Amino acid sequence: MSSMNQNGLDHNYWRSLQELADEPEFRQFLEGEFPEPAEVPTDAISRRRFLQVMGASVAMASLVGCRWPQETIVPFASRPEGTTPGTARRYATVMELAGAVSPLLVTSLDGRPIKVEGNPDHPLSRGACDLFAQAGLLELYDPDRSRHVLEREGGRPRRRSHGEGETAAAAAFAALRARRGAGLAVLTESTSSPTFAALRGRLRDELPEVAWYEYEPVSRDNERLGTGLAFGEARRVRVDVAAARVLACFDADLLQDHPTALRNARGFADGRRAEDGAMNRLYAVESELSLTGGMADHRVAMPSLEIPHALYGLAAELVLGRGLSLPPGYEAVLPALEHARAAGHAPAWTGALAGDLLAHRGESLIAVGPRQPDHVHVLAILLNEALGNTGRTVSYGPDDQRGLSHGAAIATLAVAMGKGQVESLVILGGNPVHDAPADLDFGGLLDKVAASWHLSLFVDETSQRCRWHLPRAHWLEAWHDVRDHDGRYAVAQPLIAPLYDGWTPAELLSLLLDGARRPAHDLVRATAAREPGAGDWEALLHRGFAEATPAESPAVLDGRGVVAAVRGGGLAKPPAIGSDNLELVFVRDPSLHDGRFANNAWLQELPDFMTKLAWDNAALFGVSTAAALGVVHGDVVELQLDGRRLEAAAYVLPGHAPWSVSLSLGHGRTAAGKVGDGTGFRAYALRTAAAPDAAAGLRVARTGRSHQLATTQDHHAIDAVGMREREKRSRSLVVSGTLAEYREHPEFASHRTHHPPLVSLWQERPREGHAWGMTVDLSTCIGCNACVVACQAENNIPVVGKDQVARGREMHWLRLDRYFQGDPDAPAVAHQPVACVHCELAPCEQVCPVGATMHSEDGLNVMAYNRCVGTRYCSNNCPYKVRRFNWFNFNSDIPDVRKLVYNPEVSLRARGVMEKCTYCVQRIEAAKIDAKNEGRPVRDGEVVTACQQTCPTQAIAFGDLNDPQSRVAKLTTGDRAYHLLAELNVKPRTAYLARLRNPNPELAESADGHPAH
Amino acid sequence: MGILLTRDTIDNTAHDPARPQELITGGYDFTTLTDKVCGIVERPGAPRAWWVALGFMASLAAMMFAMIGYLIYKGVGVWGLNNPVGWGWAIVNFVFWVGIGHAGTLISAILYLLRQQWRTSINRFAEAMTIFAVVCAGIFPGIHVGRVWVVWWLFPLPNYQAMWPNFRSPLLWDVFAVGTYATVSLLFWYTGMVPDLATLRDRATTKVRKIAYGFFALGWRGSNRHWHRYEKAYLILAGLATPLVLSVHSVVSFDFATSQIPGWHTTIFPPYFVAGAIFSGFAMVMTCLIPAREWYGLKNIVTLYHLETMAKIILATGTMVGYAYATEFFIAWYGGNPAEQFAFINRAFGPYAWAYWIMVTCNVVSPQLFWFKKIRTSPAALLVICIFVNIGMWFERFVITVTSLSRDFLPAAWGYYRPTAIDILTFVGSFGLFFTLVLLFMRFLPMIAMAEVKTVMPQKHWEDKVSRPVGDYHGTNPEDR
Repeated sequence: MSSMNQNGLDHNYWRSLQELADEPEFRQFLEGEFPEPAEVPTDAISRRRFLQVMGASVAMASLVGCRWPQETIVPFASRPEGTTPGTARRYATVMELAGAVSPLLVTSLDGRPIKVEGNPDHPLSRGACDLFAQAGLLELYDPDRSRHVLEREGGRPRRRSHGEGETAAAAAFAALRARRGAGLAVLTESTSSPTFAALRGRLRDELPEVAWYEYEPVSRDNERLGTGLAFGEARRVRVDVAAARVLACFDADLLQDHPTALRNARGFADGRRAEDGAMNRLYAVESELSLTGGMADHRVAMPSLEIPHALYGLAAELVLGRGLSLPPGYEAVLPALEHARAAGHAPAWTGALAGDLLAHRGESLIAVGPRQPDHVHVLAILLNEALGNTGRTVSYGPDDQRGLSHGAAIATLAVAMGKGQVESLVILGGNPVHDAPADLDFGGLLDKVAASWHLSLFVDETSQRCRWHLPRAHWLEAWHDVRDHDGRYAVAQPLIAPLYDGWTPAELLSLLLDGARRPAHDLVRATAAREPGAGDWEALLHRGFAEATPAESPAVLDGRGVVAAVRGGGLAKPPAIGSDNLELVFVRDPSLHDGRFANNAWLQELPDFMTKLAWDNAALFGVSTAAALGVVHGDVVELQLDGRRLEAAAYVLPGHAPWSVSLSLGHGRTAAGKVGDGTGFRAYALRTAAAPDAAAGLRVARTGRSHQLATTQDHHAIDAVGMREREKRSRSLVVSGTLAEYREHPEFASHRTHHPPLVSLWQERPREGHAWGMTVDLSTCIGCNACVVACQAENNIPVVGKDQVARGREMHWLRLDRYFQGDPDAPAVAHQPVACVHCELAPCEQVCPVGATMHSEDGLNVMAYNRCVGTRYCSNNCPYKVRRFNWFNFNSDIPDVRKLVYNPEVSLRARGVMEKCTYCVQRIEAAKIDAKNEGRPVRDGEVVTACQQTCPTQAIAFGDLNDPQSRVAKLTTGDRAYHLLAELNVKPRTAYLARLRNPNPELAESADGHPAH
Repeated sequence: MGILLTRDTIDNTAHDPARPQELITGGYDFTTLTDKVCGIVERPGAPRAWWVALGFMASLAAMMFAMIGYLIYKGVGVWGLNNPVGWGWAIVNFVFWVGIGHAGTLISAILYLLRQQWRTSINRFAEAMTIFAVVCAGIFPGIHVGRVWVVWWLFPLPNYQAMWPNFRSPLLWDVFAVGTYATVSLLFWYTGMVPDLATLRDRATTKVRKIAYGFFALGWRGSNRHWHRYEKAYLILAGLATPLVLSVHSVVSFDFATSQIPGWHTTIFPPYFVAGAIFSGFAMVMTCLIPAREWYGLKNIVTLYHLETMAKIILATGTMVGYAYATEFFIAWYGGNPAEQFAFINRAFGPYAWAYWIMVTCNVVSPQLFWFKKIRTSPAALLVICIFVNIGMWFERFVITVTSLSRDFLPAAWGYYRPTAIDILTFVGSFGLFFTLVLLFMRFLPMIAMAEVKTVMPQKHWEDKVSRPVGDYHGTNPEDR
């Protein structure tokens, strides 16, 4: 409850109990804490500062395509030429997360960014955007962000000005330079930035004594190590999912946890639309239930540590059983494959998969996930080579990263720190005190380092143990450059001047090298000038990336490396996972990544796609494993691994692998901020340098206590009556069929939702003009949650907190319904995004006593917020339960800086008012106004809803149903279309397209279309 | 209960077809009856027990208003409502109290038209209880909305923006139905009380009482013309109130029946709700009257015969309610609508099965004991069973409202509703308000309709104790004595 873990005090947002009490001791403490003249801001950001920032940004914005960092402030009193106040402008930029790049187009209004979308011109995005980039907006305006340089003296943080911080750092760095960097270590996040690489190169040359370490707690090191073994140097594995007809994923979540996940998802979806031709087939072998597993036509759940056997078994089946010839010179791996076959690692399904792969040589793909050890990656490389996939569905690009793997780097640094070799440590981003392997005791070692600097967005766990904390510029505030997974160069341009004068890591490095902090803009521009193919600077900024990719050296297989790795891995003694030897798998948190987004309320409240869990992580158990261990949903269990203990809540997840427990990383923060502190359980406490991905030997002990888990679906442990009904109903709600069924009966969806003839109570008049409608393709919706965040950002949807979510009061207008069908240990996953379907005969409209919800001219079911009395009758009568009620004033107590995130086109809803999806009516109106100004009808595709815009798979279509040529009209009348709860005759405007699965005919089918293994 | 209640010594429940039913026992004549009833009101100091009871109940009522204040300050979220369950205890309580408010008007109006003489002993009390129950009921729809301060938008008030309520919404019908019912019930109650108020005025010894009762007695002098007008007005009001008895709960049931939630969307609701309302109303009359007749010594005015007759009505309506429960299940099966079938299976065997079986036990099983005359004529047993019926009828509304909402069409949107402390205290507090009003009524108003009771009493001058023909009240004016 102390405010001292925050950077400074903020009267509006947080008051500690003592401060409220205004005790003299506290005052004394306060003065001791901040000895400078009390400059306590009354606002989260002062009005003057905001105007400055706004003025600067608008001034920048006025120069189209060339937003130089202005050193002089232009007052907004005189409107910059070419700008219209209140008119949104969009700028291309990129966000980098652990070396992976998201190309973006950010909407800015009067100098403040209000919406992040994907860059439609960039092949990695094509308009789609992941969660982290979209929610980055909220991070930018996070009132908990660090605003001051802090110096710890005698264990207490003292606030210093930026100038003092810079002077102190420059002096310390000058001394280090004089010693050629001896005693200095630099620990940095992973980045693909060429500017950063150039600075690092200079550092190596000019200060050769500096020790350089890169650490990411969630990385693709294993892939890098594997490619290193296979090619003699680390390569980036590039997959072309669109070109693959058969995909075999071994612990690989290609659709979500991958540097090119958005492109993968688009490619996967493009190969999924049966009406456009053939349909791809996805096999997934995994321990947790990932998005990819949920979409798979065949999924095998097995402990993560046994997945190598599965790939060796497949290889054995391919090579020994089906005669796939290995490239010449690789016969030496055969003993490993024979060993796998003898050990029984090639069950029946591998035969079917092998047959499929052989039938699709050159258009299949075997993908291995980042948690699998290097030799498994090598085997996949070899099999892809043998199947002729190399160069078609998979290729290997150069990897800029040199040096130690992340795991090795942090361990080496820890050893050096332990030996006292590190006198000065500069930590650029990252949060190693929280996320370094538990056995290193990084925090304890850090205390021994005499001089430590941490550049960070927040005063986090690491900042609290460093001598100096320096505020970092947010990615929306900073100049930066990146090289994406395909090798394309791209530049990140700031959308707003740094709110708190933060620095970028490159700027800090320049201070270290040159004794003066060079602006990031100059550094990046200098790199861009050198970058071949970057072209004209303004054009580069305008487009956001360089179109030309640099020439690359081809990847050549190193036969000896491959053979050694495969033989070594295949003949190693397999770990036996079972009831006496459980495994614990550390997975990336789909919402918080490695924990850095813990203070982001949009992401905290985002329900996990599979578990529907918000504000927590949980130890995930399979159904039969939980039964065997006597663990039930919500139990607090103690996980014991190598003498380390962690208490965590248990969640019983159907489809989770037996004898395996998954725990996502990133929760359990102690200095994340007011949002992120104390949510979930800190998986890092069990994660060691030796076993960062999965560890055997887990023991699970029940504590007898329980923990409330807030889920947005299945709010309570469901009874047998409800469970039966839920599964039965899910089959008519989420209509799915096999490709074969579809080919035979293309209109099978309408048969599944068959109902008696419908009689209308009302006299229905034909509707002229626009009739907005939507379709959602369940075949291509992968459940990535991007639409949910897009909707939240676009429509100013409030965050309500864990307690309210647990009570069933989450406010998301768009939710993803998820059902499990069939065997609880190997279920089929059915899911469906549901928002207001804008019924023609809307039951909500009929019961509202004051007419606050009614039909608009173009058939939208609209809410008049200020007419709403709040009887909630509409919500009761809504069969889809998509209406959201403001139980409290969810928009009160919002710090001023946080209000900058609001979309001014959408009104904030008051307490006691009902709200729901509007089909993004503000976007519809904007398109209509544009069309009217130009004297033409609204074109098909001109109105793009926020959810549709960001969907990586283009599963959502929107448009005018009265225009028979529109895409949405064609889809709505197409053979896969059906309406949810059509039997109620409410005539929803949103139609769903039935999901198709493409199971392998060789594998037995159970009646419900779900594969039996 | 034995501590609170004493045995009834006079049993007038035997039926002799040769003689009119003896409705008032204990040898009351007009004077002693007037003295008895007015004496309760005129007693200089209220009994200590009354003060204790009033203090307790008024604190509960105050607690309710505090809860409402908190609700209005914070928002509806202080209750346990959630997304599928948009209506919880507030609406349950509303329907519960409206249902209780049925007995009074039924007894006053319908039984009056049907010339049921025995109603005279209980109608004043039942009508008062009706008014108080409707007061309690009226609070809940007002406070359950999200924005209490604009709740007047539900009324069709002309305004410059020409905004008009939506007449298709059953909630609006509710406003009219309950409003009309409350108005007519109040008028009916008051009209019937005018002669008795005049009696109190005439007997008043203090200035305050004279003025207060005199004001409300409307200058009643008991003239022939007054009686003539009075009887006409009473008959007309009875005629007006009779359809309202049936309409108000039918309209309340439309809130549910016209919606499309499985478990709500059934045509049986109007008669089923009316039967349930009468059932619960009579149970509440008994719950209040049995202690009142005991403590105020009114056993010869509200006799065992009255109690037994009411028990028979409870038995009849309770059986109707049980029949309705069975019909719902039958139609759910016979109708073949899977969503409806599940709604009822879920009621009986889902997460709220406990509430369903409490309801069935209290409402269907417990009144069946009234087949036994011994139980029908035991005030203690009657009181216990009537309390059960009250509990059961509250749970009936809970089961209908909450279980149906908690699991409707899309299983992904299912939820589970739990009340918060605010919910519970508000409901408990509404009993405080109700009983505060009942206690004040018993203290300040004649709880027996003296003028009406006198019409069914054997005239005191008839020494042979043969009852007079009914309705010949004006043969001898008691004031001529």
